[in-house]
Amino acid sequence: MTYDYDLFVIGAGSGGLAASKRAASYGAKVAIAEDDLVGGTCVIRGCIPKKLMVYGSHFPAWFHDAAGYGWKVGEAELDWEYLMTTIDQEVRRLSQLHINFLNKAGVELIKSRATLLDPHTVEVDGRKVTADKILIAVGGRPFKPDIPGMEYAVTSNEMFHLKTQPKHIVIIGSGYIGTEFACIMRGLGCEVTQLIRKALILTGFDEDIRTEVQEGMTNHGIRFIQNTEVKGTERLPEGLKLTLSGELEETIIADVFLMATGRIPNVEGLGLENAGVDVVPSSMEGHGYGTMNAITVNEYSQSSQPNIFAVGDVTDRMNLTPVAIGEGRAFADSEFGNNRRVFSHETVPTAIFSTPEAATVGLTEAEAREKLGDDGVKIYRTRFRPLFHSLTGASDKTMMKLVVDSNTDKVLGAHMVGESAAEIIQGVAIAVKMGATKKDFDATVGVHPSAAEEFVTMR
Amino acid sequence: MTFDYDLFVIGAGPGGLAAAKKAASYGVRVAIAEQEAIGGTCVNRGCVPKKLIVHAADVALQNQMAYSYGWSDCRTAFDWTKFIKSVHKHIESIHRSSSQQLQKAGIELIRSQATFTDTHTLEVDGRKVTADKILIAVGAKPILPKIPGIEFAITSREMFHLPYLPKRLAILGGGYVGVEFSSMMNAFGCEVTIIDQDEMILSGFDDDLRHGVQEGLTRRKIRFIGNRTAKEIKYSEESLLLTITGDSQNIITADTILIATGRAPNTENLGLEKAGVELGEKGAVKVDEYNRTTQENIFAIGDCTNRLPLTPVARSEGAAFANTVFGKKQQKLNYDYVPSAVFARPEAASVGMTEAKAREKFGESVKCYRDRFQPLFSQMTKEGEQATIKLVVEGESERILGAHMVGEHAADIIQSLTVAIRKGITKKDLDETIGIHPTTAEEFYLFGSQ
Repeated sequence: MTYDYDLFVIGAGSGGLAASKRAASYGAKVAIAEDDLVGGTCVIRGCIPKKLMVYGSHFPAWFHDAAGYGWKVGEAELDWEYLMTTIDQEVRRLSQLHINFLNKAGVELIKSRATLLDPHTVEVDGRKVTADKILIAVGGRPFKPDIPGMEYAVTSNEMFHLKTQPKHIVIIGSGYIGTEFACIMRGLGCEVTQLIRKALILTGFDEDIRTEVQEGMTNHGIRFIQNTEVKGTERLPEGLKLTLSGELEETIIADVFLMATGRIPNVEGLGLENAGVDVVPSSMEGHGYGTMNAITVNEYSQSSQPNIFAVGDVTDRMNLTPVAIGEGRAFADSEFGNNRRVFSHETVPTAIFSTPEAATVGLTEAEAREKLGDDGVKIYRTRFRPLFHSLTGASDKTMMKLVVDSNTDKVLGAHMVGESAAEIIQGVAIAVKMGATKKDFDATVGVHPSAAEEFVTMR
Repeated sequence: MTFDYDLFVIGAGPGGLAAAKKAASYGVRVAIAEQEAIGGTCVNRGCVPKKLIVHAADVALQNQMAYSYGWSDCRTAFDWTKFIKSVHKHIESIHRSSSQQLQKAGIELIRSQATFTDTHTLEVDGRKVTADKILIAVGAKPILPKIPGIEFAITSREMFHLPYLPKRLAILGGGYVGVEFSSMMNAFGCEVTIIDQDEMILSGFDDDLRHGVQEGLTRRKIRFIGNRTAKEIKYSEESLLLTITGDSQNIITADTILIATGRAPNTENLGLEKAGVELGEKGAVKVDEYNRTTQENIFAIGDCTNRLPLTPVARSEGAAFANTVFGKKQQKLNYDYVPSAVFARPEAASVGMTEAKAREKFGESVKCYRDRFQPLFSQMTKEGEQATIKLVVEGESERILGAHMVGEHAADIIQSLTVAIRKGITKKDLDETIGIHPTTAEEFYLFGSQ
């Protein structure tokens, strides 16, 4: 039987784009369907616009710190609309760039939603197309818990399109998205309250990262309300009123209320049941949080239907852009490139673009202790005032930490909070991945004066 | 025979301090002599004050970019005098903490010059002291060319004490010192000209790095005049006139002329001849791989040996010396993968071989991966600064010989890649490493992937 395409990709986000171009490079006939802007969460409402906002949010602190360096800087004012418009333009430019890349690679872009009718047939634009293999890369979306008045809350999606700058924003959620937005909005001059269900933000990260970031944020004037949940929201003339339950039973008035309590895979309305693609339920913890489903796949990203595959956030393995890209390419190499391979989800570095910034690779101290016991783990940790702040008087500190296997001397994890953490951990990641020992770190000569040199001079 | 000290260190710079502290940790009696401020070039007239000026200069550059991110233009004013005072205040606090560290380590600090009278004896403070082992760690100083009017010029040492900012600055020498000062002073509004005898700045670095930095500086209106040497300096009507010759003869008018044409070991007036310590090229102390001089009990490390004149190298040599001599751990430094940075804007950093060096050594089997791109931050700014990254690889396995970068965070990025590159990783190992998105460093893992 012949099909219209060798590969049909649903969703032009990071994973879908990478897979489609890689497959096309092997000579496969490929189409990709997208009903929104090309680029997916990362380019349109994630990594990219977020990081641009982070950049924008750093200027006031810079101007403030400049006083220690002999500068007098007048009050700068933010043109909110300009910032939002410019970021939007940049996002659209990048989206167009991705369309150009698809064209160049010979991938056909179909601007439509796609639904599976059977294992080889997809409905797009009111017509039926067939494909030998189908890749589902439709991503995920923010999840709003079922609480009264939730319609007044925004999610990260809307944060990039707020018409005016909020005076007071309340952020619910202690994950990296809520944390990053708290820092961005604080940097841009808003009053920020972050509501968390436990005592510390950033569950799952190394303890030292969690406490250091939270302390840094508190020093920058972000108010944390710990051990507290939202019971309900109502609109009052003066703003949104939030009723809380937990440690603090006060009510809070804010003009924007951001729900950053997690993301769920976009599995609905795809016709998965028509094609025999199974989903696995995995329940999110906590009050009011529903059950979510993700497409179940094996290590080759193959679904329960052998000719249908899925990569990226829709599979809810490790929801990161470079992981989706890696999974997408491994899929294309395996299925079209005669190079069957598994994408490894081990030693994946990640960053939190908070202020202070944090980044991490490998095992946390707690994970290492659980695995090797207290005697099996040696911790090297340094906390210092970076040279830059020796003249600013700011209390910002840099924290670096290596988790080492005390028997083999192998570095199992590296964690950092402070300026350029992401850039630094990125480089350290390859050393950790290659099995570098603490001795290898020690034998490396430093670049002076840099922040990164502290990683090779830890005692 | 008994000596006053087990180890006497001459010079309390990064190398001398590291060696003294490491040796003291093995329980030996140590003294260290310093005739100037404690901390050496790095702390007093090098890395530290320089990096602080870089930060101050960055404010001016950031201010220009704030507009692109929606921030209104606001009035700024820079007070150099006030700033440089804070810099020196910070340096004093480093002096205090260094002295305390020495005290804690039980090391005697002698504030005096030290000169050899024989292989085990030094004259300090008008008295004689003896030591079993002696370590020379006296560093280096800027070289001044012998041209008429050179007394009107200054060196990097005086740059940290300028009473006010010059309007027009001419820099002789396009090495990293000259390039860094050109970048900072330009940011403060000085009109800067760099003159070098080569056709491009940063001789010795990889060509792509040199191009990248030079292009960035030129974009910022820093003038570069290559293939010229200085002939004379004249003072006329409140200005300095610098005559340069080469391709053609020009006269550069400036308020300040900075000489940054290189540094020479501080090995004069040490009485080395009395101790049988021989000097090599450029007056550098001759040493073997264990930092031993031609005199068995005398050692030398750091810039005065003119191997790789960098702070972390001097520190590592100092520690290796102490481990070898007092710690019974034979240790020598591997100079192959020493990273270094140029803190200009754009910043640059480098580790391992340049393309040219690799081709010289491995010929045809060398391959380069090069990428030039606009980092995310710059995509919003009208300056549109570019970044360059480059890998030099060799053979079928594509073993990485060198990594070079121009762009923001270059120093931190190259530093953290160095741990892995030293281990002999291949291009494929880099390809298989997962990125952090969006960063600049991830581009090192994305060469040629589409």
